[in-house]
Amino acid sequence: MRQQNRLLAFAAALVIAFASVASVAQQTLDRTKVPVAGPTPVLTVPTWTKTQLANGATLIVSERHGLPLVSFSITFVGGANQFEPADRRGVATLTAQMLTEGTKTRTGDQLSDALQLLGTNVNAGIGAEEGAISFVSTTKNFDAVLAILSDMMLNSVFPAEALERLRARTLVNLTQAKDQPVVVGAQVFAKVLYGDAHPYGQRSTETSVKAITRDDVVAFQKAYFQPGRAIITVVGDVSPGKVKSSIEKALAEWTKGGDKPSFAYPKLPELQPAKIYLIDKPGAAQSVVNIGLPGPPRNTPDYFALQVLNTILGGQFQSRLNANIREQKGYSYGVNSAFNYGKGPGAFRAGGSIFTDKTDAALLEFMKELKGIVGEKPITDEEIKTAKESLIQGLPQRFASVTAISGAITSLVVQGLPEDYYQTYAKNVSAVTKEDLLRVAKRYIDLGHLAIVIVGDRAKVEAALKATAVAPITMLDPEGNPATP
Amino acid sequence: MAQIKIPYESYKLPNGLTVILSVDKTTPTVAVNIWYHVGSKNELPGRTGFAHLFEHVMFTGSGHVPYGLHDKLTEGVGGGNNGSTTNDRTNYYETIPSNYLESALWLEADRMGFLLDTLNLEKLNAQRDVVKNERRQSYDNQPYGRVSEIFSAAMYPKSHPYSWPVIGSMTDLTAASEEDVKAFFRLYYAPNNATLAVVGDFDPKQAKEWIQKYFADLPRGQNVERPAVAPAKLDASKRLVYEDRVQVPRLYIQWPTVGVKNDDDYALSVMSSILSGSRTARLTKALVYDAQLASQIVAFQNSAEDVGVFQVIVIPRPEHTLTEIEAAVDQVLQKFVSEGPTAEELQKAKSGLELGFLRGLESNLGKANQLLDGAVFHNNPGQFSVDYQKTLAVTAADVKRVAAQYLTRSRIVLSVVPKGKKDQASKAAESETVTMLSKPGRGGRS
Repeated sequence: MRQQNRLLAFAAALVIAFASVASVAQQTLDRTKVPVAGPTPVLTVPTWTKTQLANGATLIVSERHGLPLVSFSITFVGGANQFEPADRRGVATLTAQMLTEGTKTRTGDQLSDALQLLGTNVNAGIGAEEGAISFVSTTKNFDAVLAILSDMMLNSVFPAEALERLRARTLVNLTQAKDQPVVVGAQVFAKVLYGDAHPYGQRSTETSVKAITRDDVVAFQKAYFQPGRAIITVVGDVSPGKVKSSIEKALAEWTKGGDKPSFAYPKLPELQPAKIYLIDKPGAAQSVVNIGLPGPPRNTPDYFALQVLNTILGGQFQSRLNANIREQKGYSYGVNSAFNYGKGPGAFRAGGSIFTDKTDAALLEFMKELKGIVGEKPITDEEIKTAKESLIQGLPQRFASVTAISGAITSLVVQGLPEDYYQTYAKNVSAVTKEDLLRVAKRYIDLGHLAIVIVGDRAKVEAALKATAVAPITMLDPEGNPATP
Repeated sequence: MAQIKIPYESYKLPNGLTVILSVDKTTPTVAVNIWYHVGSKNELPGRTGFAHLFEHVMFTGSGHVPYGLHDKLTEGVGGGNNGSTTNDRTNYYETIPSNYLESALWLEADRMGFLLDTLNLEKLNAQRDVVKNERRQSYDNQPYGRVSEIFSAAMYPKSHPYSWPVIGSMTDLTAASEEDVKAFFRLYYAPNNATLAVVGDFDPKQAKEWIQKYFADLPRGQNVERPAVAPAKLDASKRLVYEDRVQVPRLYIQWPTVGVKNDDDYALSVMSSILSGSRTARLTKALVYDAQLASQIVAFQNSAEDVGVFQVIVIPRPEHTLTEIEAAVDQVLQKFVSEGPTAEELQKAKSGLELGFLRGLESNLGKANQLLDGAVFHNNPGQFSVDYQKTLAVTAADVKRVAAQYLTRSRIVLSVVPKGKKDQASKAAESETVTMLSKPGRGGRS
């Protein structure tokens, strides 16, 4: 359908083109001719060495010598979902933040000053399923920054005073998040899909953050930062041999311990028939819409088919959702969709921020496109070709900087993907068929069980949403609990 | 220090188009980036938001490029595209695999030369709706989202080119006619008002041929007049309070300073890293760590082509008032004005420059923007190395001088408070209530 439109528009453009060419004297260039692309550049995937340190940590080194830069990271397999008790949500992030608060030999101020003079920062963060301590430095400062990182990871003293300060900041952030319709929408969406008993439905709350003690932080640090689950990735202006000895020296006190955690998640709550969950935000200029349901993990054999599918549906600007709801209808500044892959059943989600008055009309268009992709509007050969080219030719961008290369290599190890993943990527994407796309669309975009979470001005949108007859409406409060009328 | 170098060559076509080429074969990709020297400051009161609306129109197809093909030849081949608008300039870029350079140049040349051939009211209205949605998403539905608008209006006299927001008002966006848009294009989107950069993996000889082929015969436009813009200046301090749909109040303080063409910009930017950004920075240490009045604090010099402001933003801890916080900020600043920075503070502020510069070199797009910024605002694509050297050369005396000169000036203090809680403002009794003129408008097609 899009293809036909494009041809028509192109024919019209041709007519106009002749008129404008005539206005430029001695014009011989035929501007209607789309320049033909040159031969596809040969993909050069960075090479790396992978060894194991005596303490069990994996060491990956990839050389890149154009600039005097080095990216260093220690990635830990497993994150808050594996290591945080349900009633202490938030302890992982607080522990990571506490690493900057002082060691046995340096105060927090001294750590900060030393790093400022070295022109960089050590970043520590723990996400849902992995965590990392990392920095980027100039080549000449690498050993000095590494020594500070090691001190922070191994010798932090976790002052009680610092915990209180960080806790206070976290509580302010939680309060501010309640004013952000996009954040409220994402939180309620997760809660509706996964429930309170599943880690994917949990988050840090005022109650859990207030309950965290210094002992919790110290225990978390001991349990978590273990070499048995660590991948050390060094990318940049280094030599593998020399960097290995630097690391062994800097991390000499980091002794064996820990292993990769199990990613067994509890069973998902039973899927509910499609329902609209409305959270009232009086006076909101836009409605924040999230539509979806739990999806497959990253290691699904359907991964490549789903990537092609989502590129067509909502992964790009000209994907079906945005082309329709933003470009044709003008209801939004942008809508999209994604499969959120992890070790567990990450969500499929489509959505965006919609002009309040068009909330109902946009919902109908979302539903039309979702029905379309599962069969009502068959995927064309042209769509498949463009989506595949886009994915395949976008690969070099993943190796455009030392941190990008580090992430690209580390993710293979974290997700348990083959070492030749990037070399075989084009082949795997190319192998996806139209039948595969229809099959995975039907399987993972289950129209009968979609959760539709909308944060918006109830007085303006409720009646119109009801009139769409897409699904029954349930009112929720901003915490995702049944709203009291 | 490593060598601060971006190898490039630059030349001008007879029609006035400035071209900058910089080869980097690290990754088989290229960035094509065009800056037009036009931004919201070139608009007229009553027609604000025009430059930015125009940025959207530039993606709707042109004489020989049907709508959609631009995306297909960029994101559809593994690349990307976007545009952005500031007070001073509008840019458009494509990041593409290196074998798609010619088509990217063809696309940019076509919309520079032939945009109006296919522009009609329907296309304009569709983009107007998108821009109104952008305004709703980024400003109206965003907590604290209207602060920059409040400051623009309060800092500059009415009709000053920096007194309105880049996004424009809902009323003005509705009022823009097709003819307004066409006239704007004819004046500002001519080759003599544009600078093109190509950065990445390409053969310069081939690129020059393509640039000649697609751009050389586009006609030169009228000369663009650049009226002198009055510097930011307040005759008297202002104290404002704005009620927003928020639960946590915030304190904003802004002083008029200078734009990018004034060398004080360097010392002001060094001063910002001495005042905030690390835990031992003056304001951060005093308010967040020692007295623990604030949850977060940030100070920065924000410089545009002709004007600049120095701004401090503080998020309070719940048990402390904005009045208390303003007094604490003033105490730190007074001490800093009188004693200036220590040698170590100065050194720390400059130590990150080299790494920041090197990391910027990793991105074709980042490099292109640096070269273009220099070319457009300083008539020198190599301005980055001047900036680098001048920042390194900033002395303690320079910082002390700019602190005394700018932080003691008349200023604007803005408290953003929860609805109905004007008493939470800093010095509430003396604060004037801000009511925003351009309320989120009714949308739909005009």
